[in-house]
Amino acid sequence: MDFTFTAEEERFRAELRAFLAAELPAWWRGMFVDDPRAMPFTRELCRKLAARGWLTMAWPREHGGAAAGPWLQAVLREEMWAHDEPRGPQYMNLNYIGPCIMRFGSDAQKARFLPPMAAGDVLWTQGFSEPGAGSDLAAVATRAERRGDGFVVTGQKVWNSYADAPADWCFLLVRTSSEGKRHEGLSLLLLDMRTPGITVRPIDSMAGPHELNEIFLDEVVVPDDCLLGRAGQGWEIVTAGLTFERVGIARYARAGRVIELLVEHVNATGLARDPHVRRQLASLRVRYEAARLLSYHAISLQAAGRVPTVEVSIARLHNTEIEQLVSDVGLEILGLTGQLTADDPAAPLAGLVHRQWVRTIPTTITAGTLEVQKNIVAERGLGLPRVR
Amino acid sequence: MDLTLTAEQSMLVESVHAFPARRWSLTSVRALEAAGRAFDRDVWREMAQLGWLGLEAPAAAGGSAQSFVETVLVCEELGRALLPSPFVATAATAMPLLDGSAARRWLPRVVSGDAVVTLALAEPGWRGAWEQPALRLDGGRLTGRKVLVPFADDADLLLVAVAGPAIVAVERGAPGFTCTRQATFGGDPSYAVTFDGAPGELLELSGLRGDALPRMLDRGATATLAWLSGACERVLAMTIEHAKTREQFGRPIGSFQAVAHRCVDMRSDIDALRVLARRAACSIAAGRHDDVEVGSAVAYGLEAVRRILRHAHQVHGAVGFSMEHDLQLFTRRAKAAELAWGPVAWHHERVARGMGLA
Repeated sequence: MDFTFTAEEERFRAELRAFLAAELPAWWRGMFVDDPRAMPFTRELCRKLAARGWLTMAWPREHGGAAAGPWLQAVLREEMWAHDEPRGPQYMNLNYIGPCIMRFGSDAQKARFLPPMAAGDVLWTQGFSEPGAGSDLAAVATRAERRGDGFVVTGQKVWNSYADAPADWCFLLVRTSSEGKRHEGLSLLLLDMRTPGITVRPIDSMAGPHELNEIFLDEVVVPDDCLLGRAGQGWEIVTAGLTFERVGIARYARAGRVIELLVEHVNATGLARDPHVRRQLASLRVRYEAARLLSYHAISLQAAGRVPTVEVSIARLHNTEIEQLVSDVGLEILGLTGQLTADDPAAPLAGLVHRQWVRTIPTTITAGTLEVQKNIVAERGLGLPRVR
Repeated sequence: MDLTLTAEQSMLVESVHAFPARRWSLTSVRALEAAGRAFDRDVWREMAQLGWLGLEAPAAAGGSAQSFVETVLVCEELGRALLPSPFVATAATAMPLLDGSAARRWLPRVVSGDAVVTLALAEPGWRGAWEQPALRLDGGRLTGRKVLVPFADDADLLLVAVAGPAIVAVERGAPGFTCTRQATFGGDPSYAVTFDGAPGELLELSGLRGDALPRMLDRGATATLAWLSGACERVLAMTIEHAKTREQFGRPIGSFQAVAHRCVDMRSDIDALRVLARRAACSIAAGRHDDVEVGSAVAYGLEAVRRILRHAHQVHGAVGFSMEHDLQLFTRRAKAAELAWGPVAWHHERVARGMGLA
């Protein structure tokens, strides 16, 4: 049992921090802030990360990675998330779309899709949810009909981050069969977003007018070589992908960063003498420690060659809770001025806590709602009967 | 970073886990309570023979020179078995800090299971174990009172917190020492102890001086948390079993999300409690006694135990409130343990200092 990072891991963290200190511009506030400079900046930063071998350091060597151990990967995730994820949309390529292609793709697909990801040159969006398929993802109704040596896809996807960035490709879940059980008729297509018949419509959200989208698909032709895995394997791929995705985000790291800045703020303003404020911040730190250690627990199991599905869900429950809690308590501590956004020069901490609050409203909804996570733990972890 | 157990640690956990299965049951807990006894001396000697009481003692005293981390792993399993014993007070808290003449005299007897050592911390009017003791050692003699001292009537040696702070050893047979049982709702039998000029020996305690008491408290609280994490693990198992077998509205109640999610919240709190307590143990074993590492474990753990037991009772429904059901055995002991190491606000303030609040 060892709760410390090695000297090598700490050195890597220091290198990353120095790199980010040099590269992150003062205006950088992360994605979902509706700043036109953000997307081009993330593309440029990903190419720089790629040049240093850091972009795909988690990937195996055969796919252009460095086969970095799980703890170096954890350090990378922590530093990226603590600095508002400057990889932007591309963290999805690295965390789960790439790994899904490695696991389920043909050699030709690996050769075609992985190198652009490794170079930091390609944007992917995810096409899972539909108006009628949210938590009940097996209800996906977008149809992919076999025609000649490919598929013709018609339907609608929703909540697609970065689709209008514009995304180059979409990791698309479709229905190829209505026979048998619902989830057995699902398949995963790799959709070229330049194909005719695709309409992307931005959804104006609390995060801004351009961050989420709907994708309408009208007789979109997808060639056979863009089917990932077998027809009918879509559910298995999505399940694997969501498990990669859940462990791939160090949410606690950004919460930890916000707590650090709040501590600086209350020390500077004298609020630190207020016993209530002290206890609120201590309580946040305690919850942050729990979220962080439970994430490390899941990573330890991965490092030991196990697949920690339940542990990942439990870590995620703690991570999403601390993300939201930090923003609520943080805004209370900042008081009335907490509502000032980054556009107002008087905004405390440059509007950081306000952004944390907006961004973390969906945190218990995306990639499997809090309730879905709990159902996974109940059924797979506790052996309870099927939960309704 | 590696939060998994080493092969040796896993073997230790398995051996402790196997012991209650053949030697201890919840029926034994009830029998002890009915007889008004604190613990089973025969079981205590067997624990000594298995080497648990000397885990951290040097080989010269018959011990195996392990660390506090191993001690904490034993506590987890003792909690799961709900095995009442002075292990937390004697083996986890008091014994490892003994040195010099006290160690020469007492360690071999503790390791062999012949002697029980307990801690006398609280004074009348205290809200928690973390205050500054007012009791004074004058000319080698103690006069005054301590309250809620666990196992006082069975102990051979009491480590008494006194002003300084410092720690004074008092033998139970000493002149001027009396103890009376106090009426509590659960947990280990507790006593009010009166010293009337009782002779006491000021302990050097590894040269720690003023740090000895806080270090002892860190050990006691962390060992108790580990014990609680094991006890809560057992409570969760009972709760899941109930949720799977109890049917209402024509289906097992565990298939209702509202019930299932309470069970998940218990799992989630227990996992956090355990990993935080284990990290606190590592911090203590390494001599860091870090305010955030230890403080966050205690603050989280004490509050989590309340939530866990509330969920357990809610899922069990009325039957969990009956004395016939085993749940109350855990609930009463867990609440007593929580109060023994509170108040939570004290630990939050410790974390606040540790995280750099001015």
